[in-house]
Amino acid sequence: MRGPNRRRDGVGTACGVVAGLVAAAFLTVTGVLAVKAWSVLDFAFLFDPSSRMADRTGIGPALAGTLWLAVLTAAFAFPVGVGTAVYLEEYASRGGAAAVVGKVAAHLAAVPPVVYGVAGLALFVRGLGMGPSLLAGGCTLAALALPTVIVTARTAIRAVPRGLREAAYGMGATRWQVVRGQVLPAAASGIVTGSCAGLTRAVGEAAPLLVLGAVSFMTFAPRSPADPLTSLPTQVFAWSARSQQDFAAAAAGAGVALLLVLLVVNLVALAVRRRLRGVST
Amino acid sequence: MSAVSAPRAEVPALAADDLTVRFGGRTALAGVTLEVPRGRVVSVIGPSGGGKTTLLRAFNRMNELVPGVTTTGTVRFNGVDLHGEEVDPVEVRRRIGMVFQQATLFPRSIFDNVVFGPRAGGHAGELQELAEEVLVAAGLWSEVAEDLDRPAMELSAGQQQRLCIARTLALKPEVLLLDEPTSALDPAATARIESLIHSLRRDHTIVLATHGRRQAARLSDFTAYLAGGELIEYGPTEALFTNPRDRRTESYLTGRIE
Repeated sequence: MRGPNRRRDGVGTACGVVAGLVAAAFLTVTGVLAVKAWSVLDFAFLFDPSSRMADRTGIGPALAGTLWLAVLTAAFAFPVGVGTAVYLEEYASRGGAAAVVGKVAAHLAAVPPVVYGVAGLALFVRGLGMGPSLLAGGCTLAALALPTVIVTARTAIRAVPRGLREAAYGMGATRWQVVRGQVLPAAASGIVTGSCAGLTRAVGEAAPLLVLGAVSFMTFAPRSPADPLTSLPTQVFAWSARSQQDFAAAAAGAGVALLLVLLVVNLVALAVRRRLRGVST
Repeated sequence: MSAVSAPRAEVPALAADDLTVRFGGRTALAGVTLEVPRGRVVSVIGPSGGGKTTLLRAFNRMNELVPGVTTTGTVRFNGVDLHGEEVDPVEVRRRIGMVFQQATLFPRSIFDNVVFGPRAGGHAGELQELAEEVLVAAGLWSEVAEDLDRPAMELSAGQQQRLCIARTLALKPEVLLLDEPTSALDPAATARIESLIHSLRRDHTIVLATHGRRQAARLSDFTAYLAGGELIEYGPTEALFTNPRDRRTESYLTGRIE
């Protein structure tokens, strides 16, 4: 008994060391970013508009843009993605068109984000006449997040025990009552986790938004989805691509702000999950 | 198909005629013909994988929820073809209630479990009264009356199974399909369920799939022996147990086939 146990402990120790290294690396990155950004980080920086002067510039428009994009992306990707997953798992018959949709969704998750930018430029910016707006950005990021949402939601739905569905059907529940009353509550936690992963990944992207025509100099914070497209990731990119050293601190500051936004999104998801678990048991 | 003659009654509650059910390439039921007389208890016995569950699930159209299933032949409920065009499977399952082999409660309170069916069916009356009525009928009321808001999952296995029966009774079904309701229970809990089944026979037609030969003998008026998806023998329980006509039935009853 001692041998295998000790070996398992060895594996545990190794995993612990690796996990510690990952945590240390993450903290180092955040630390370096924070140190670089220290000179610019204050409340004014968070809310001020862009300026040509490195020491007077702020991320107000970019921060507002990213918040807009997060809301728009969630508003499009969440219902469409979860709806598609429910349809594929609970309504569609096996094989045929549904199987094709499922396969396509799984493969789209592997398409590079910049390609979504090209497609979004053709479809949303030009085709549907949205221009380089936050709306076009939200639609593009939603398309980017959609495959992840669909795939993870399907996995969560498939993990719901069959007995639960059958018990409900056996009690004379309609398909929708089974989905609404049993399947979605049981899968909710996994769906939220997956959707959150898709959302944060999309909102942190710069490449597709740069293709759409994101601006990095705005004198006012966007107030509607029709306003020009701007965001924290594209702002970081624009500032770090400049030759003046002065803007490096601003870029780091925008990076810290982006991390904070994503952290808040994850905390919200965590709270939602806690609540769901409380309700469902 | 089957040479076995069914017990006669006016219009049987349930009647399968040349019923064949396949899951993909596997035949689960092969040409089963059998009638369940109204107000009686029919037990279905036979080895595991013999088709007991599939037969029960054919009676309330549960099999069609499984992808890749094909059903041929007919099932009639009070003389009406269950697969007729105007028949709604949801309605069928409300009138022919089923208790599954494995008690699967909803992860909610006891009360929510009991009234799940009536709520789903848009029950208009007082749910509290209904819950008490069926919990009393299922012999569970005295144990749970204090706290109906407790999570149902906290109940013991025997209590969970009785809650499943109560939940099904709340549908006010005409027929009860009980799929090995005691297979996961200890002898004491089994005895309680058996006396419950005994009391339910007054108001219901019951089809009981069971692994226990003695349970079938104790509880049922008629017994069907299913093996390999075929109905080997069907008749009055006493006659089938004391004087089986088919050698295979005899082998099973004497314990030579498990």
